[in-house]
Amino acid sequence: MPTKWVLHWHPNPGSTVNSQILNEVSQCAEAINGVKDGRWKATLTLLKPNLRDQSQPGEYPRELLGISLPEQPNKYYFILRGPRIVTEADSSIQVIMEKLQSYKSRIALYFEGYQYQLGDFQLRVGKVVSSHSENLRGIVLEVEYLPISSMEKASQVLGEFVDIWQEAVLKRSLPGSFMHNEPNLSEYGLGDNYTPQHTAVQYAYVMAQLFASQSTQAVRN
Amino acid sequence: MDVKPNFPMQFQQQLPQLQQSEPQAAATPSTSADQPAEAPPKQVAMAVDRLAQAARLIADVRIGADRLLEALFFAAQSHQSDKTLQFLLKEDASMRQHLQDLRTVGRQLEETGVLNDSMKSRGNSWGLHIPLVCPDGAVVAYAWKRQLAGQAGASAVDRTRLALKAFSDQKRRFFPHLDDESEDQSREPDSKKPCRPQAPLTSQLDELGDFKSLADVLARVEKEVPNVKVLMYERRDWLKRASSLPSSGNDKLIESSKEHSFHSLNKMRAGPQSAGASGRTSVIEISFPCNLRAVLSLHPAGSINPDAVAFFSPDEGGSYMHARGSSIYHVFRHITEHARIALQHFLGVRSETALYFLLNWICSYQTLFSKVCGKCGKLLSMDRKTSTILPPVRRSFRQFYPVRESPAETTSSTKDQVFEIPGAYHIGCYTDEL
Repeated sequence: MPTKWVLHWHPNPGSTVNSQILNEVSQCAEAINGVKDGRWKATLTLLKPNLRDQSQPGEYPRELLGISLPEQPNKYYFILRGPRIVTEADSSIQVIMEKLQSYKSRIALYFEGYQYQLGDFQLRVGKVVSSHSENLRGIVLEVEYLPISSMEKASQVLGEFVDIWQEAVLKRSLPGSFMHNEPNLSEYGLGDNYTPQHTAVQYAYVMAQLFASQSTQAVRN
Repeated sequence: MDVKPNFPMQFQQQLPQLQQSEPQAAATPSTSADQPAEAPPKQVAMAVDRLAQAARLIADVRIGADRLLEALFFAAQSHQSDKTLQFLLKEDASMRQHLQDLRTVGRQLEETGVLNDSMKSRGNSWGLHIPLVCPDGAVVAYAWKRQLAGQAGASAVDRTRLALKAFSDQKRRFFPHLDDESEDQSREPDSKKPCRPQAPLTSQLDELGDFKSLADVLARVEKEVPNVKVLMYERRDWLKRASSLPSSGNDKLIESSKEHSFHSLNKMRAGPQSAGASGRTSVIEISFPCNLRAVLSLHPAGSINPDAVAFFSPDEGGSYMHARGSSIYHVFRHITEHARIALQHFLGVRSETALYFLLNWICSYQTLFSKVCGKCGKLLSMDRKTSTILPPVRRSFRQFYPVRESPAETTSSTKDQVFEIPGAYHIGCYTDEL
């Protein structure tokens, strides 16, 4: 399947993300001849163990991430960041989880927006909102190169595309920039051939970055 | 030569008038004043309608002119001057009416910006564009469809250019003795012929060894280019393989297709590598596993005469994957277009070595996603014509010749690099002299 990079918006220190920035970013996609193609939505759920017996917290991983991706509507992905495990399950696992009540959803993040076709590239610009509030938590950008599925072969192409993108965004003098820090996919046992699990791990990483930057903001405030 | 009464004509000429009056009635008397009040789809539809009307009126004018000539001829022959006079008067009136209608439609089209670019500057909403009649007569009617499809539609000019190119390619192939002098002169009228220091001498090419058999050529290529996989197929076997290739990254399908190709390879290579085994080969597959897959066809089967070539993504699969097919990805479509020109070039230089040169040239594309453009130094560039971002899809082929290896080099290098690596260029950076 095509290779993809997931980038997130990193606001400058002292500034926050808002919908104006999201509009500017969408216009950027159209400025480089992207053609709006449709909507997309991904959901990331942070699950915490439902401990009846509070005395044994150490046995269970404190945090389980569940992700649903738009290109795999029948699948659901679980990630344990500590032990670096990612796995794919049928989407009906969510029903089982509800019944088991072993891990309960603490917070869900919704990534949604429009996607743009740009020749052999596909761009997805999305806002990040949480289930707890209506406020915009962040902006996410997916850059996908359709013809090849090898991470290594595509890295130069995706890298240069992101450079072109950053240049276009820079022209709009926005208070922040997109960042791509590649998570260590090999630690998760993921190989060179791109799979939805690669996407899931990138999203987990983006979520961590979002929470980290917002907690530093809170501390600052 | 009969002079039919003009009733059908008059009926015909009333029709366009009626049709013309309808949109006018619908749009209320002043046409220009309320244009902005109509929604863009309606404007586009009306503009297209009016263009059709204009075409019909022009046809009517042509028919009218014919009839006038007919009448004059008839008048010269017979002497029924009265009837002829009536006829001429009627034709005159109808022609004047047509021309008047044409002027009106033309004015309406001008006002709505069809004959010039004025509509674009008015900031058309909804992303729709009024059809534009270009100076060369091409009508760009459905620009909005282009936007939605995300691809540049070909205007009539582009189609003609492509057709001309296809015909001249065929001409070059089937009538090579006809083209050389006149085409060279027409292509490079002012510039000097570029000096080619590495023009192949026949003796040098002969030194490259035996090109007579397909197996020899393929073995040689596999030896010279590391990482390449070259496979031979009969035409039916290739079709089966192409259809069984996974079109998405489904691991299970990859496993089964590997087995399938293993079996078909066994069928092909059953027997002691004899000429008979490759005697029915008509499809060659060249693949660099993560980069690309090129499909070449040979005609006749088992010969070393390449016929057609096409490039595809390594993840593509389906029965459309054959040497005359077209990839679903822009990058490979562009390479295919360029490769077909290169194929004709290699056939034109010397047909016995064409396959060998072509295979080596195709192998130069293994750096497609890593080698930067020789002109601008970047990997990606926006192609103006198709508004897509592409890597350097063009490799130079006119200077693609084997170089003479010095005796000292052959001992030191382990690879038998017989060919110089061709330069890589973006579409916009490439020129024919390269």
